[in-house]
Amino acid sequence: MNYPDEITYGNKADIISTVEFNHTGELLATGDKGGRVVIFQREQESKNQVHRRGEYNVYSTFQSHEPEFDYLKSLEIEEKINKIRWLPQQNAAYFLLSTNDKTVKLWKVSERDKRPEGYNLKDEEGRLRDPATITTLRVPVLRPMDLMVEATPRRVFANAHTYHINSISVNSDYETYMSADDLRINLWNFEITNQSFNIVDIKPANMEELTEVITAAEFHPHHCNTFVYSSSKGTIRLCDMRASALCDRHTKFFEEPEDPSNRSFFSEIISSISDVKFSHSGRCIMTRDYLTVKVWDLNMENRPVETYQVHDYLRSKLCSLYENDCIFDKFECVWNGSDSVIMTGSYNNFFRMFDRNTKRDVTLEASRENSKPRAILKPRKVCVGGKRRKDEISVDSLDFSKKILHTAWHPSENIIAVAATNNLYIFQDKVN
Amino acid sequence: MEFKLEAHRIVSISLGKIYNSRVQRGGIKLHKNLLVSLVLRSARQVYLSDPCPGLYLAGHPGAPAPPQQPEESAAGPPAGWGEPPPPAGRAAWPEPEPQPERPAVPEVLRAGDSEPAATVTAAGDTLQGGEAEAPEAAWRRVEGPRETAVGGAGVSGVFPEGPEAARGPCGCPPGDEDKLSAPPASPPVCARKRGAGWVGGGPADCPAPGSTPLKKPRRNSEEQPGGEEEEEEEMETGNVANLISIFGSSFSGLLRKSPGGGREEAEGEESGPEAAEPGQICCDKPVLRDINPWSTAIVAF
Repeated sequence: MNYPDEITYGNKADIISTVEFNHTGELLATGDKGGRVVIFQREQESKNQVHRRGEYNVYSTFQSHEPEFDYLKSLEIEEKINKIRWLPQQNAAYFLLSTNDKTVKLWKVSERDKRPEGYNLKDEEGRLRDPATITTLRVPVLRPMDLMVEATPRRVFANAHTYHINSISVNSDYETYMSADDLRINLWNFEITNQSFNIVDIKPANMEELTEVITAAEFHPHHCNTFVYSSSKGTIRLCDMRASALCDRHTKFFEEPEDPSNRSFFSEIISSISDVKFSHSGRCIMTRDYLTVKVWDLNMENRPVETYQVHDYLRSKLCSLYENDCIFDKFECVWNGSDSVIMTGSYNNFFRMFDRNTKRDVTLEASRENSKPRAILKPRKVCVGGKRRKDEISVDSLDFSKKILHTAWHPSENIIAVAATNNLYIFQDKVN
Repeated sequence: MEFKLEAHRIVSISLGKIYNSRVQRGGIKLHKNLLVSLVLRSARQVYLSDPCPGLYLAGHPGAPAPPQQPEESAAGPPAGWGEPPPPAGRAAWPEPEPQPERPAVPEVLRAGDSEPAATVTAAGDTLQGGEAEAPEAAWRRVEGPRETAVGGAGVSGVFPEGPEAARGPCGCPPGDEDKLSAPPASPPVCARKRGAGWVGGGPADCPAPGSTPLKKPRRNSEEQPGGEEEEEEEMETGNVANLISIFGSSFSGLLRKSPGGGREEAEGEESGPEAAEPGQICCDKPVLRDINPWSTAIVAF
């Protein structure tokens, strides 16, 4: 196995930490370890070039979060962007939420293609004019200028989380959103930054009795009173905010009994859920733990309806993966627009897609060699033992420093964004 | 046998991870450290339940200890544990009344113990050295922590909720169980003390504090009358080793909730089940001696 002692990413601040399409798929946002947000925009398909699918180009770049230091607790707060979530578009401007470990920010991204000219009190360079020299008045007019995209922080939601924020989720009412840390979930109103409601609190009275933490949370796509949160014990709780103000008692509890034959020192770690996502229909949820992706029907709590093995060949390597910390990697998972295919990442820059209808799966690789324009991705295969075929790669040759934790799928088309350390790959389905 | 080695290796790795998490940017990650402590618990259980006691009784060099320690400890376990008259006497103690017995305990134990002074200052040897004076220190500690609990600024560094966070409402610092777990010297004594604590009659009325032997070396090494105050002060100044011990102890709840049947009565990752299955006791000390180098390394910082 490849365990490089020193992992060189180039610039560590460039490591992508989150990827998210907006609701139309026109924009794609990425956040990185350095606190930056880069937004890509799909170029409009022109009538002249119908065969050329819209490509994504950089639209805006801004510094969302800076490193902070909490002097009271002697803690440094990382600027790494943990999550980005878009708000649905309601006017010409775009709005997104970005969060680091402690603070959520609402950003407005807007275009400016005109600027006012003809001020009375300022000259063209902006210097103030002496009012005594002004003899006539004129009305400033808007004149065209080169397109400028500017991002401004509209709200800062701070000081509400003692532990590290792992999730944010916009409610379907578009007025509220939630932020979740290891032990608590808070509900915010977009307009109010100095208050939030605590809706889930699993902190035990005695911290020494702590046995599980919240790992991810998401609102139901249509029902604004419903949300789910996953735990480090491999369970998912569905809560209804109408039931009580503090949703410590769940409405539904999803858990699969453990398979005793698979028990090991690391059983608990690999059952910890790293991501939970509602399907677009709202009828299912998908969870990712270290080795599998599971699809659950909201009406069946005692076991998932589908389980997909992402990289089961790692099951015998858990001790080594524990040693090099890979076992703590938090992979995300995504649905395609029609909820028929699910996708998640793995190591060696591999990512996997599972077709729920045909039960077929494919392993693809995000690498420079494969990513020449119009190159078709070739399915990859990991050889788990015995004779290795020509195109296969053996488990021991996998590069564990190349991990795909974050992927995104366009809401309606077969376009995917895959973050491989500090590179972003965008793949599109070939046009027939 | 290989399970024991594997488990030991995993324990070492896990402790290293907890240790390194102190200096991680962004503060201690609760989720990751919780998972590490779960692994630590599993490995420890396997380690303790693997029946091959003979291997380590020969005397592991372990931490910096007086040369006579290994032999003393090797021969010690049965002698040390069964030996002190106090246990017999203590059986008569009323549960929620540790104070009256306090003066009596140290004397009796000291009388019964062969090397109190020498063992006391051995920073690395938690349990071997602490046999005699640990219960003594324990008794003193039971009173002390309440103040430190409130003022434990060091704690807040670990669980950034404020001083009381890691302590819980009862205000009991993890140190409590430490005394209770003084174990090897006199299990009955410890059981009694722990009983007091569990029943809720303990001075701090602490339900289930955990502890870690990581604190023991420090305490043992300051075995002067003023040692207690020094320790409290250390906690309040957020001593780094303290963070580790506090942090480690904060998950001892997991260690207590072993599937092997309710309370394992284990107060720390490294202290064995003292009042538990007698058949395992002979494993405890060797186990602990093995892990001592780690606790020494951590405490040294």
